[in-house]
Amino acid sequence: MAPEIYNLAQTPITSHAFSPDRNQLAVSLNTNDVQIYSRQGNEWAVAETLSEHDKLVTSIDWAPHSNRIVTASQDRNAYVWQEMPDPETGKLVWKPTLVLLRINRAATHVRWSPKEDKFAVASGARAIAICSFDSENNWWVSKLLKKPIRSTVLSIDWHPNNVLLAAGSADMKARVFSAYIKEVDERPAATVWGSKLPFNTICGEYASPAGGWVHTVGFSPSGDVLAFASHDSSISVVYPGGPVHNIRISSLPFLTLTWTSEDSIVAAGHDCQPVVFSGSEAGWQGIGSLDDTTAPKATDGVRSGYGGNTSVGRLKTGAFATFRDADSRGQSTISGSSSPSADTKLLTVHQNTITSVKPYEIQGDQVIRVSTTGVDGNLVIWDVATVTAGGASAMTARLGSTHLR
Amino acid sequence: MDGAFRKIDIDAFDEDVLHESELYDADPRDPAEVLDEAKQRQVAVRTSLAKSDIGGALSIVLENAPYGPNVDQAKEVTLQTLLTILNTTKSTEIPAVIKALSQDNQDTLMKYLYKGMAMPGWGDISGSVLLGWHEKLTEVAGTGCIVRTMTDRRIV
Repeated sequence: MAPEIYNLAQTPITSHAFSPDRNQLAVSLNTNDVQIYSRQGNEWAVAETLSEHDKLVTSIDWAPHSNRIVTASQDRNAYVWQEMPDPETGKLVWKPTLVLLRINRAATHVRWSPKEDKFAVASGARAIAICSFDSENNWWVSKLLKKPIRSTVLSIDWHPNNVLLAAGSADMKARVFSAYIKEVDERPAATVWGSKLPFNTICGEYASPAGGWVHTVGFSPSGDVLAFASHDSSISVVYPGGPVHNIRISSLPFLTLTWTSEDSIVAAGHDCQPVVFSGSEAGWQGIGSLDDTTAPKATDGVRSGYGGNTSVGRLKTGAFATFRDADSRGQSTISGSSSPSADTKLLTVHQNTITSVKPYEIQGDQVIRVSTTGVDGNLVIWDVATVTAGGASAMTARLGSTHLR
Repeated sequence: MDGAFRKIDIDAFDEDVLHESELYDADPRDPAEVLDEAKQRQVAVRTSLAKSDIGGALSIVLENAPYGPNVDQAKEVTLQTLLTILNTTKSTEIPAVIKALSQDNQDTLMKYLYKGMAMPGWGDISGSVLLGWHEKLTEVAGTGCIVRTMTDRRIV
């Protein structure tokens, strides 16, 4: 099935989150506000704007069971939004509750815990705030995970047991912490990550051989395996007490990943296309891209682009030719051309870095569709089963060719 | 106004500052040992080159290449050895040689190509040779290889 493509804005989409019924979508369009879109047939229309933050909203998460939205921002605050009837009109509106994060740098990433009684906020203050609701005082309180984080925390992901938390950080490490809160959590059962888990226990610390900021982390559905992607263009899959598989890719680094089943991961980033990895404890490999870059796109007819699908390292086409013609012949292909974008359009669906990939539709224990948003302002919903290009070597060639021009 | 305060190393007053050494695993070998090894490799490479075994020579020099602080001399010897190989390889042989290298060695080779390009006029570095290798290596290993050269703190 061809991917569903929606252009929400001409600005970057910093973060996106779907409502439980997937008819609404919360996005941050690189501003202080959060827009709630509702689906109207084949279009998305702005239904509401949540304005409370003073600075850029960095991350949004929508709790599927309790229907609450949490937003994190560079203003060092997080808000929990709840849909309530307006006292005057009786209409349902989103009401914010401020969370006392106690951090002195930007909040970078936020995620609800699986039971939705806690959430974690990553921050530039070398700390992760674990927030839980204090019903006596009717506010959200936070407890900070600090040691041994040495730099900005870029991403977090909860273990299904509601206690363990994975974090990827700019100090080039991916870590697994215990975020056990006495007042909220029952004593967790022993997992592969450890059995005694008081708050701030470090259950694991991992790095990619060539280093690089850890942009994204993710637990497998069972929680027994951890995957992380770092800025050295590699993705690592960690089996605690067992092997750590590091797959180097031939194209640009990934920024975001999600598990679609116990043996499959979708990762995306600077390469502008979601790539599927598959494997088990014995080994992992890239199996292809969800984006068929050779397929013609209905919207713009034949897909063209400099670089094309031919060999890499060619300089005589596309941008180079544009400048050479402008210089030697005084010709400008940009102004006179009938299709001005033809030369600068990428072969991928996303026209810029993908910053977020999330599970969209789940059937049984398999994610069958994922959604991506990126710097190009597009929202794309992909069918996970539609993988193009077979072997890893074929993918290498393809990835290389789409990016070198 | 006095601008001297701009030159104060504020990191020196920060207890939590992240040091370069914390960003990668240090080489467990002793600097003298590393230098010895680099010199031995130089000899082994000459033997391989005499048999015109380019791939073998490259593997010898790229395997466990010196990195980190205090091994500058060993790094220099290694770079010199590597350049000898690069300069003697015929351009038609390059793609096959690169394809035979392991991923680790491809990444290390890319690091040396950039190191070479950063040192114009040093030794017998020729820009066109380095660029030729760079083009062929990027065709095989992709842009990911260049990204790894930039992120890796284990500088050769």
